[in-house]
Amino acid sequence: MDAGSRAIKIALLDTRTRAVVATGSCDQGINQSALASDLLARLLAEQGLDAGSIAATVATGYGRHAVAAADRAVTEITCHATGVYHLHADVAAVIDIGGQDSKFIHLGTNGLVVDFSMNDRCAAGTGRFLEVVAQRLDVPIASLGEHARRADKPASISSMCVVFAESELIGLLASGTSRENIIAGVCRAIAQRIAAMAGRIPAGKIVFTGGVARVAGMRDALAEALRHPVTVASDPCMTGAIGAAIIAARENGGSE
Amino acid sequence: MKDCGLDWFEEMVEHCYQKATEFHEAGTPIIGILCEYTPRELILAAGAWPVCLCGGDADMIPAAETLLPAGICPLIKSTFGYSLNQANPFLEMASLLVAETTCDGKKKMYERLAERHPMHVLELPQKTGDPDARIHWIRELQKLRTVLEERFNVAITDERLRDAIRLMNRERRLRRALAQEMRSATPPLSGRELLDLKSLIACLPDDLAAYERIAGALPGRPADARPSPDNVRVLLTGVPVPHGAERILDLLEADHATVVCQENCTGIKPVTEEVDAEADDPLTALADVYLHLPCSVMTPNSERMRRLGELAREYRAECVVELIWHGCLTYDIEAAYTRELAAQFGLPYLRIETDYSPNDDARIALRLGALYETVRAARR
Ligand code: SF4
Ligand code: SF4
Repeated sequence: MDAGSRAIKIALLDTRTRAVVATGSCDQGINQSALASDLLARLLAEQGLDAGSIAATVATGYGRHAVAAADRAVTEITCHATGVYHLHADVAAVIDIGGQDSKFIHLGTNGLVVDFSMNDRCAAGTGRFLEVVAQRLDVPIASLGEHARRADKPASISSMCVVFAESELIGLLASGTSRENIIAGVCRAIAQRIAAMAGRIPAGKIVFTGGVARVAGMRDALAEALRHPVTVASDPCMTGAIGAAIIAARENGGSE
Repeated sequence: MKDCGLDWFEEMVEHCYQKATEFHEAGTPIIGILCEYTPRELILAAGAWPVCLCGGDADMIPAAETLLPAGICPLIKSTFGYSLNQANPFLEMASLLVAETTCDGKKKMYERLAERHPMHVLELPQKTGDPDARIHWIRELQKLRTVLEERFNVAITDERLRDAIRLMNRERRLRRALAQEMRSATPPLSGRELLDLKSLIACLPDDLAAYERIAGALPGRPADARPSPDNVRVLLTGVPVPHGAERILDLLEADHATVVCQENCTGIKPVTEEVDAEADDPLTALADVYLHLPCSVMTPNSERMRRLGELAREYRAECVVELIWHGCLTYDIEAAYTRELAAQFGLPYLRIETDYSPNDDARIALRLGALYETVRAARR
């Protein structure tokens, strides 16, 4: 279970085959423990399973300690790394951009975390920032990428603080800068933030995960800022939950 | 109540306050110090008692920010806030403060502190390896010697200085021995317990006796009173953790981890070397040892990295955590060196930047959690 800031995500994993049996998500809410239990019950029912078929449950995400259905909590850093490694065994680094934070995780060849850096102090470089921009420019989040691709001269965004950026956006619009150029500029500014956080850029594969990985323009912006190709994870919203499930399976289901 | 005589230091501040009041009433001077570069020996040899004034209390900071910029390190702001609030009885009792030009924030804060307190500032040269720096530092200590002699009407003879050096060496030896108990595969103390084994006033006889008692009792400390030997072994480095800011150690040790070594100024750094009491010129011997202290205000400060490497081996550290107070530029810049060193040793590394307010405890705990998960995964 990944109790994130915006959504709760659950992955069911077969302990023996390590295959992902089912995944599901719901919006985060006040009683996240009950929401998580309901979602789990729903997923189990859809698969014709019951609570007795669960060997172990690991929770991750910012609400990991609040989920009563979990046996144990593991940090989202370890879980994202484990989940991405499961889906992409040749991964060297993971970029995770979620609603409230962003991380750059360096992995060893065995899939273990070697080093990580993280931003969760302010909205700069997170999904929240993109949301504010999309709202302000009246563009659906999903089509930010399309707009960014049409930019001819990405605007330079100096303020990465949500509060100040809003007024900066208004200023840019007023001076006639196109929405396309503003969006491309914002993506670039976020990507540069992540690149600065990354430190050394690994030679191997960099996998992009988290909710923001679904925003098409961000992958290109990251690849440009890192000067390194970036692959979007095959199930970017689920890697944390899948990682948690793998850890639960490892500890309770015998060998790999 | 704590076992092994550890309870003595649970009331360290109270003991120091009682002693300081006695000294003050008897006319024995109390001298405030603010950094580990201050040679306590000269103060002791002047018949005075050196007391550490470094602030660790977040509540002192708002007052300080009325005069100092908010962006400087909390240690500087808290120390200064104590003065503005007249809230540190040791500071109020002190007949003199001795400080030195270390980092810019401290140096400029001292100008303000000097408005309320008599102050002598030593000019600390910052190129440790330069022979001229050594000569300059010896001169600075000679000047301090004269200032103390004239102000307190005493003669700081070489003999008195040698006695003070022997006394400080004894305290260093005792504190070092306690710290070194943590090399064990079953450390007898938590890092938090070890951090408490120090005193604001140097060389108080009761404290020295307590260090000795504890050192004698620790080997027999039962396993159930010790931290679990399965805990992750942490080497802590970076800025000092003054009294009042201990929450950092609690956070570090909340998730099955033991801080086996504290390399900083509230840990082993200032007690590592001893001064040669039998040297021809004890003042020169004193100057040489103090100028060695590997603080980030020095350039280059390669001795710190050399010692860190040694400590990582000796204490069998499994990871390195670097603490940076917000606004501490010199340690923050050196953090990149520590990261490189940790990588050379194959040790996971984490830099924590914070201040005295507890509101980012959750984000620190998350990072530490991930660090310790990495260490445990590598054990398997
Ligand atoms: S860290 Fe540096 S400036 Fe701070 S007390 Fe130690 S020696 Fe002095
Ligand atoms: S922690 Fe850094 S900024 Fe603060 S007093 Fe020490 S050296 Fe100066």
